[in-house]
Amino acid sequence: MDQCASVLLAFPPATWGEAATPSSDDDDEISYHQAVRQHAQNVDKLIKDGGVLLTPGFAQQLLAVVHPGRHSISYLALLQAVLLLDSSSSSSSRDDGLLANITVFLMTFDARQIRYAGASLSSLLDAVANGGIFPASVAVDLITTCLSRLDPTGSMLTSHHLTLATLAYETDNIEPALPVLERTVVFYPGIKGQPEPSYPCSLSLPPSAYITIESGLTGRLTSTMVLQYDFLCGLCFIQRRSWRQALDALERVMSYPTKDNNSAATTTTTCSKIMTEAHNKWVLVSLLATGRTPPAFPPTTGYGPRKTYAMLGKVYYTVAQAFEQGSAEVLKNEVLQIGQRVFDEEQNGGLLKLVMSHFQRWQILNLREIYTKISLEQLRTETESAEKGGPLDTVEEVEALVREMIEDGMLNAVIEKPADKPAHLVYLGAGDETMTEEEFRQEMMETARRMKELEPLVKATNERLASNKDYLKAVIREQKREKMGVQDMSVDFEAQIEDEDLMGGIMASD
Amino acid sequence: MVDSVLTFFTAMENQGASIVKDTPHFDLETYISNYRGRTRFDRLSLIGRSCVPLCVDALKAAVAEAKRNRDTQRYREAVECLRMAAPSDPESNVDHDWIIKTEQANVAETNRLISELKGYKNNMIKESIRMGNEDLGKHFESTGDLNGAAETYAKMRADVSTPKQLVDVGKHLVRVAMQRREWGMVLANLSKMGGHQLSAEDEQALQPYLKIIQGIAFLGQERYSEAALSFLAADPTPPASGYHDIVSQNDVAIFGALLAMATMDRRELQARVLENKSFRTFLELESHLRRAIAGFITGRYSATIKILETYRPDYMLDVYLQKHVPRLYEEIRSKCIVQYLIPFSAVKLATMEREFMYRADEQTMEEELVNMVKNGTVEARIDTIDKLVITPTQDDRARMQMEALEAAQDYERQAVERLRRMGLAAADLELKNPRKSTGKAVDSGRGLGGLASDNVTFPEESPFV
Repeated sequence: MDQCASVLLAFPPATWGEAATPSSDDDDEISYHQAVRQHAQNVDKLIKDGGVLLTPGFAQQLLAVVHPGRHSISYLALLQAVLLLDSSSSSSSRDDGLLANITVFLMTFDARQIRYAGASLSSLLDAVANGGIFPASVAVDLITTCLSRLDPTGSMLTSHHLTLATLAYETDNIEPALPVLERTVVFYPGIKGQPEPSYPCSLSLPPSAYITIESGLTGRLTSTMVLQYDFLCGLCFIQRRSWRQALDALERVMSYPTKDNNSAATTTTTCSKIMTEAHNKWVLVSLLATGRTPPAFPPTTGYGPRKTYAMLGKVYYTVAQAFEQGSAEVLKNEVLQIGQRVFDEEQNGGLLKLVMSHFQRWQILNLREIYTKISLEQLRTETESAEKGGPLDTVEEVEALVREMIEDGMLNAVIEKPADKPAHLVYLGAGDETMTEEEFRQEMMETARRMKELEPLVKATNERLASNKDYLKAVIREQKREKMGVQDMSVDFEAQIEDEDLMGGIMASD
Repeated sequence: MVDSVLTFFTAMENQGASIVKDTPHFDLETYISNYRGRTRFDRLSLIGRSCVPLCVDALKAAVAEAKRNRDTQRYREAVECLRMAAPSDPESNVDHDWIIKTEQANVAETNRLISELKGYKNNMIKESIRMGNEDLGKHFESTGDLNGAAETYAKMRADVSTPKQLVDVGKHLVRVAMQRREWGMVLANLSKMGGHQLSAEDEQALQPYLKIIQGIAFLGQERYSEAALSFLAADPTPPASGYHDIVSQNDVAIFGALLAMATMDRRELQARVLENKSFRTFLELESHLRRAIAGFITGRYSATIKILETYRPDYMLDVYLQKHVPRLYEEIRSKCIVQYLIPFSAVKLATMEREFMYRADEQTMEEELVNMVKNGTVEARIDTIDKLVITPTQDDRARMQMEALEAAQDYERQAVERLRRMGLAAADLELKNPRKSTGKAVDSGRGLGGLASDNVTFPEESPFV
């Protein structure tokens, strides 16, 4: 046991002090790298041939000795051993201590060290997600925390993201997963021809350099999985009624790059079913979010998908048109006649119901472009309920609807009931109130800050592209050609000078 | 008799014709004496078919006009109408003898002219051939064969020897195209007529013709603002005989004034219409329109609208203007309302109701304003409780802020999107179609394209959505 403990506690060396890093020398990264790699190998060996570790109860004891934040690799190895025992012994009596250990570990592990134990971390995360060790809400929370700690920028997609999104959506635990789902993803695993970083521990590396398939921190992703992830994000945001974000996510799916993109000559229209489903939801969501048909596809949408969307989304556009034209009866009939079956098949029935119930809301909202005050009775006759296919029956129903809208924050208005006039709705502020200079400045600064945040991502992309083999080859070829070109030019130029000289000679002889 | 007129107009209305119930201000005889040629019948017939008070008189005049000429088809139409409107009138009986006689004469004349033309062609005298064609064309036109007329007139072009003759060919073709309402052809022929080396005198005589006809063609194509400018540029000095087979000078004044009011703002109206010396000559003929324009410029909108509404029946009885009157009036009216609202931040609905009380339709001021706000003609909000119209103040700074923020956010989104696509490309994750199939890669399964194999079914929609 002592031997085991000494191996497990060997990294980080006690001489490094509290910070758990070598003294800040130039070779800081080198020595850290060497030490941590050696340690990871040692621990691996220990697990592989150490029968001792697999003695019941033994690893548990060691867990008390090893600090999860300081000796993260060792702690992770112990957790794995315990889990292995746990599953093989098939004893259903689960130790609460173990759950606490996993929780503490995932919340406090050393993100730098753990880069060297990617495979183990991945299998722990998989266990948390699938194993039924934790209730789903806790599992979602833990995976979210772990992923955010591993990649604070949140710009790298991993196979765990997809697991997380699926779990969160299926079990309706979206809220805790938001810190990950809301992040902007720009890097994807499996980058071709990326040179392996010499020191994955380097803190200046972009996430795409250390979260690689080789490191074990992520599995390989396919285009379908990427599409699924964004689609699930869209579904999650729809669930949360967060329309703007949902539109963004669905647009990411719709505009997913395809290989035969923009070539009108080819007749192939590569398009995924997920993309068309996203498009159909996108039409409905934008009705909810803006009250009208989306004006145009996202500009980066491929040529093939565009055609497919228009073809397969016809029913949706019919509904959108009816919605926009403002006739509740038409809308209701459309949905009744052709719609319902199709919508249910594509699992948009719920969304459609929401669209129908929002129809009157948008009508009421749009009336603020025309009226400042309007009596509830007039409101009742001028707007129609799509569910009913005509105006509501009583003023009370209208009032209830309006109150609901005001409470949801959709409508900025109040209902007034003075004694001498009919009860009426007063629209407040048409939506374009001026910000103060200070607020405006802050908004702009916020945007600027977000742009600044992109800088490292741009830098990483730029470096990666600049070191790409094909690019370098092209640059070299270009340079060669340029050299040749310059020589050719000079020859021409000289030849011309000669001509001029000849002329000059003739002139002079005159 | 009254009943028969009523049935006649019910039938006309069912055919989609516009019906005018009020008596116009003009006297039918004086009105029609301004015109020459085939347009007289067109006008009389239109008045007969649209104007309730003048119906029988106009139709009778139309029958008489048709009988003076050789177009039997027109005669039949006119008598047919008259018989429906006034069956007891002796003139409503078809004069079959006249029809047979005229038709025979027409055929004989056609044959004569064609054989003459053949003779000219054999002699190969250019001038004679041209004149032969012209005579034949005129004959076709007068018998109502506009197709034949257009073809024959077009043949004249080959044998033209002077610019003036070229202009004449153009005039013939334009006249025929006008009767067939082919505005594109009219404009094409007009453009061929300009730019020849005519004498200064001829040039001057031609100017109003070109401008006025061009204006009518633009009007027919609903290019109102171009039409207005054409009419305003017409020169009033040459006599109306240059174009009275198509329009009168009064018409020019009406067209120009109405179109200008519908398309120009107050400053433009002042500069281009009231201070336009040449157009003023036309405008004097219709001085009430000058008052209407002046009223519009000086902000007396109710006076303007009152004048226009009183003269609506007159304008509805013009062959070229009829179709456009409702729209032009609508434009002018909404311009008045927009202008009226500019200086106020809030107006009582009752005040506006008084100001714009003259109207053609039944809607209330509130309904009208709601429609105008809906289609974006006027920027206003209506308070139906305190009966006010409120004009919101434009806040440029707020708009600027919105736009700046939007631009910034848009830039950000684009930057991210580009990075993302580069990332996807680098990881070789673009969607590909591995089957290399041609045609639509859409299949019936859950997957499309190449993805059918590795598709994962999605979780059932949750009850929350």
